Amino acid sequence: MAKQMLIDAYRGKWTEKAPWVPYSGVHSASLIKEPADRFLQDPELLAKGVVYAAKRYQADGIPLLFDLSVEANAVGCDLKWWEDNVPSVVTHPCSDRIPSMAGLQLPTKMSGRWPVIFEAARIAKPRLDELDCVMMGLLCGPLTLAAHLAGVRIFTDFIKNPERAHEIVRFAGEVGALSAQFYADMGCEIIAIVDPVSSQIRSEVFQRFVTPNCQPIIDVIHSAGLTSSFFICGDCTKVLEDVCRIGTHGIAVDEQLSLNLVRDMARKYKIGFSGNLKLTLALSLGMISPREDAIASLAAGGNFGFTLAPG
Amino acid sequence: MKEEGVEFQQKDEIIQGMCDAVVKMDEDRCVQLCEKVLAYKIDASEAILKGLSAGMDKVGDLYARHEYFVPELLLCSDVLYAGLKILRPHLKLDQVKAKGKLMIGVVQGDIHDIGKNLVVAMFEAAGWEVYDLGKDVEFGKFVEEQKRIKADIVGLSTLMTTSMLGLPKIIKMLREEDPKVKIMVGGAPLTAEIAKKFGADGYASNAVSAVKEAINMISN
Repeated sequence: MAKQMLIDAYRGKWTEKAPWVPYSGVHSASLIKEPADRFLQDPELLAKGVVYAAKRYQADGIPLLFDLSVEANAVGCDLKWWEDNVPSVVTHPCSDRIPSMAGLQLPTKMSGRWPVIFEAARIAKPRLDELDCVMMGLLCGPLTLAAHLAGVRIFTDFIKNPERAHEIVRFAGEVGALSAQFYADMGCEIIAIVDPVSSQIRSEVFQRFVTPNCQPIIDVIHSAGLTSSFFICGDCTKVLEDVCRIGTHGIAVDEQLSLNLVRDMARKYKIGFSGNLKLTLALSLGMISPREDAIASLAAGGNFGFTLAPG
Repeated sequence: MKEEGVEFQQKDEIIQGMCDAVVKMDEDRCVQLCEKVLAYKIDASEAILKGLSAGMDKVGDLYARHEYFVPELLLCSDVLYAGLKILRPHLKLDQVKAKGKLMIGVVQGDIHDIGKNLVVAMFEAAGWEVYDLGKDVEFGKFVEEQKRIKADIVGLSTLMTTSMLGLPKIIKMLREEDPKVKIMVGGAPLTAEIAKKFGADGYASNAVSAVKEAINMISN
């Protein structure tokens, strides 16, 4: 019941109550008292942490992992690992050339950490099914991946060298489509495109670069009969309407946004929406009551297409 | 009327052109006009202040109004730096005195530095002396460098919630070394209330507001 309720909410439908997704990520590592760098590279630890988090937080859905460096690493970017956070991408092979000239290849299931993730899914999926909990696949969106590949240069290329930017973002979209296929093969029922960088651009740039390069990803998800979402971090007010129009079944937003605004926009476009507990103020620092924040979010979100989740 | 080498009107046109070039992200035009500044012996300090800095002020307004975004800010700061590269060596010694001294870095555990780099550009445009410690800066390094640099303001930048949690410790370490140090924090996970809770003296929600906040901090 919980799984179907979550899928219905993500697709903008009415649900008896708002389902709940804790975007646990590397927090799952701390729950099982493991450092993040070890956790993210060990399939058994990854599966153990995800299942533990799903049980502990009574989740209706949970990401298998929340790490936007996977795709960049799979095409050859180097990473800096941290004990308490996801790794950071530290090399940018497309900083001065397009992917074909940089020798980048589309990844396979054996590239980078995909074998670890596949194995973690194999272990975690049956256990999550027993809990009636959706296993979610979160993939790195095309603009954020393009920023990993090209570094800060991608921002200026949108204006100064758009042909180059198009090549890089197009490649990133193709990589994302493969990630979507991988997550579909693993058994993820909901697959989300996570693209935080896309909150930092104007609407026209979003429409030119993000929207078209998400379509191959969305096509893969929908062709597999699965549910799609677009998760955008930061204050995305200026591109929120573009996000709603991108073609996913639902969207997910960060704590900076007014949930009332997001709700109204999502209902206009008949899509699901999730958010946006104050991760920093409430959950990390306790400066506002997490309970009251949750109550306020539930009141704002309602029962139509809403999923409660941290921002 | 004529100043040595150039008509006043021509000088004003050149300087206004520099301002416009910054706003319009036209690096070639800015470089061309900065070279005219030198050719016509226009005061470099005036050109920087009324041309380049004025341009960045307008850029800041456009960003605050959500007409410019990160890509535009970066391009405008490229134009600013192209102009500063030409004009700075021609500042007279008595013109080099900065409005203030900023030391800034992205805290240990975080390598995201776009925001910090934009803050650096805005402060340099505003005539501050800036010491950029880079990214993933160890806690102790902030203290060590502040002992040496004695900045008016120490800026701590972070994008990640995990690195943000280290800010109270850095602030405490800095204050133990220098109780009078003024500390500004900024970055996506932060708010003014969090900054206050952590013990910072100031908070900037973006690169544009950081300079104004710094001026308030050193005036109080």
